[in-house]
Amino acid sequence: MLNPPIIVNINSLQENLKAKLKDSKLGLISSISGQELFTLILNNNEGNASLLISNIENNNTYSALTPAIPQAHWFERYLHEMFGIFPQNHPRLKSVIFNDLGIIDYPPLRSIDQNYQHNFQRDTSFLNIEGNDLYIVPVGPVHAGVIEPGHFRISCVGENIINLEIRLGFVHRGIEKRLTQIPLTSLRFYAESVSSDSSSANALANTLALEQMLELNVSERSKYLRTLAMEIERLSMHICDLGGMATDLGFNTIAMELARLRGQVFAMGDYLTGSRYLRNFIGIGGVRKDDDLYLSKIKSLIINLKPKLTKVINFFINNQNVYQRLHNVGKLSKSLACDFNMVGVAARACNIAYDTRLIYDQGIYPATILKLADESAGDALARTKVRIKEIITSIALIENVLDNIPQGTTQLANVKCLPANCIGLGIVEAFRGELIHLIFSDENGQIKRYAIKDPSFNNWTGLAISARNNLLADFPIINKSFALSYSGHDL
Amino acid sequence: MKYLLISLQIILSLLLPLLAIGIIRQIKAKLQNRIGPPLMQPYFNLIKLFKKNQIFSHDSTWIFPLSSIINLSIVLILSFIVPWLPFNKSVFSGDIFLLIYLLALMRFFTIIGSIDTGSPFSSFSTSREVSLAVLLEPAIILALLALAVTFKTSDLFQIFNYAYSLDLIKIPVLILSASSLFLASVVEFSRCPVDDPTTHLELTMIHEAMIIENSGLNLAIVEYTYSLKLLLFYGLIAQCLTHCILIILNLSILLQSILCLLIIFSLLILTSLIESFSVKLSWHKVPDFIAYALTFSFLAVFAAIINGVSL
Repeated sequence: MLNPPIIVNINSLQENLKAKLKDSKLGLISSISGQELFTLILNNNEGNASLLISNIENNNTYSALTPAIPQAHWFERYLHEMFGIFPQNHPRLKSVIFNDLGIIDYPPLRSIDQNYQHNFQRDTSFLNIEGNDLYIVPVGPVHAGVIEPGHFRISCVGENIINLEIRLGFVHRGIEKRLTQIPLTSLRFYAESVSSDSSSANALANTLALEQMLELNVSERSKYLRTLAMEIERLSMHICDLGGMATDLGFNTIAMELARLRGQVFAMGDYLTGSRYLRNFIGIGGVRKDDDLYLSKIKSLIINLKPKLTKVINFFINNQNVYQRLHNVGKLSKSLACDFNMVGVAARACNIAYDTRLIYDQGIYPATILKLADESAGDALARTKVRIKEIITSIALIENVLDNIPQGTTQLANVKCLPANCIGLGIVEAFRGELIHLIFSDENGQIKRYAIKDPSFNNWTGLAISARNNLLADFPIINKSFALSYSGHDL
Repeated sequence: MKYLLISLQIILSLLLPLLAIGIIRQIKAKLQNRIGPPLMQPYFNLIKLFKKNQIFSHDSTWIFPLSSIINLSIVLILSFIVPWLPFNKSVFSGDIFLLIYLLALMRFFTIIGSIDTGSPFSSFSTSREVSLAVLLEPAIILALLALAVTFKTSDLFQIFNYAYSLDLIKIPVLILSASSLFLASVVEFSRCPVDDPTTHLELTMIHEAMIIENSGLNLAIVEYTYSLKLLLFYGLIAQCLTHCILIILNLSILLQSILCLLIIFSLLILTSLIESFSVKLSWHKVPDFIAYALTFSFLAVFAAIINGVSL
């Protein structure tokens, strides 16, 4: 899946990337210890990924990629914040983690280096828009609902949004650093908590990366069970997001009904893994729990759930007022979605046929043919419809998995250490989209860098763009239609 | 007897409003498969709020606490000059114009109290409230004027103080006015589908964002004012509908009162039904909604004029 890394000169990286990105996607730009830059490129046509490594020679600065490759902008901010690497000519090197109290005084992910001068300034300013009749509404970081913290600064004229500034990083926990310090046996528990609503996706990405490093093969049965966990998670979270959308539209009956039905999906997760949020299930070599009795219980639950869920969802999406509220709201054009590398539901709603389940090895995919759920309008309605289509396919997939599951062992492998100097890559379609875990090991077989790219990392920009020129009162709907993770971004 | 009725009315206007809010919440909960809060929860909330500290924005002045107290006083006056229950007899006369201007005065004080806090949420919700009020006020005024023209008096107690007459031509005016007032009440009290009173999203709020800076005693006053005003409006609508029936049937004052309370109860059920099965309108569509209220008002005035000509 991962081609051997290629060394590229930092000065020619920009041209090199630009040429490569014509027919492939940018996966991740980061650094291992602050001395070098690595760029992961996903060749979606060939179904593999390549890694470009460039050394930074010139006093921790290099010429920024963002002016030519807009999708790199957030990655370069992250590099600046976490490694103290300064991308020159970056249009806006805004801080990505919350550090107003000045607690973090050394770039957190940079290896300790006596010669490194860490006097970089964090830019925590907001984009100021000035003019008559203009006012600014600050929202958050503490919100009225029980959600994660994030600060939105909305500049409006009358009821129209002119600009939206998003400030995240309030739940920065240093998880990438922590993942390099803990023993291998407890790695998956930390990896799962990257974003706990997609815990099985994170566990799977972690496991795939580690299995790739260890060159382990897993049984077909494990792959089926992993897929089952992934699809239950997708189903559960899509129902949750749909219910959230109904709440935000004031359609409380539907919201409550969906919340009730989601309980059945939770029960399926509980039967499968012993945890309603599917934690502590997927591990190196297989899965932790495997019981045929519970599989039959899941089967009866899904058969029971399907007609009820379809009825409620149809009632919701065929409502004329729901259509009116969502249609043409929060529109994101396909070209902008491509420029800023949208992934997951947001990308598929803009008619970008990208689902990593069709390309990369994860669970029973891509061998099992999957119907791509896509829409072309790019608005909140399209994103909601993509979610609904994925709910339908997830139900079909769960039934398919339960019908065709083969026999075999699923025991977890007992792994004490990793091979030296190798790289592992896990790409998984979490319910929000493409999730990447990239692991580098050092000469002792210890993890020296654990890079995570949550789908929300790409899509927050999409939210900021699509909120423009919409009604202020519609912002919560646009936000909900993206349904992004704060902790997945803040790491 | 008169003093007995007045004291009964005072007791009812203290007890019923919060019960009405409790009923709406309970019915909504039942419709949504929830157990829901107890009927008396609004009272418990009020007691809780009385015990809490008040927090004032640094930017606010004496206007902010004063405005909620003035609003409470106005709504208490309204409870005396509006015949929201059939046995409700007033020591004052309930003039329609007084009602209209007192409502406008209430709105004025809500607005300056809200702006006084300097919160951005209050500011934009105030601008929303004012934009809606400009459209809404003609609807309320015309609906009441239609009643005044039909009954040839501007005293509400005179309007709702007549017996069995078989004067069938008055029925359309009463029904149209009642419909208009009901639609207006949805906007006036920021219920679904214009605004969602249960939402947590500040950016979509109208009424809730205006009172977002109130706390403790102040919030208790605001909530009681809101619920009493809601009950007065529903009482007025129920009176219109009760009198439609009174034109045909001769009922005793006790039966009238029971009928009126039943109609108020069914209005509460109607509100909860709408709130359970409607989707909040887009901000652009709210004026269209008010246009329905306005249309009913115009029809009521039209019917009233025909009524006047035919006599």
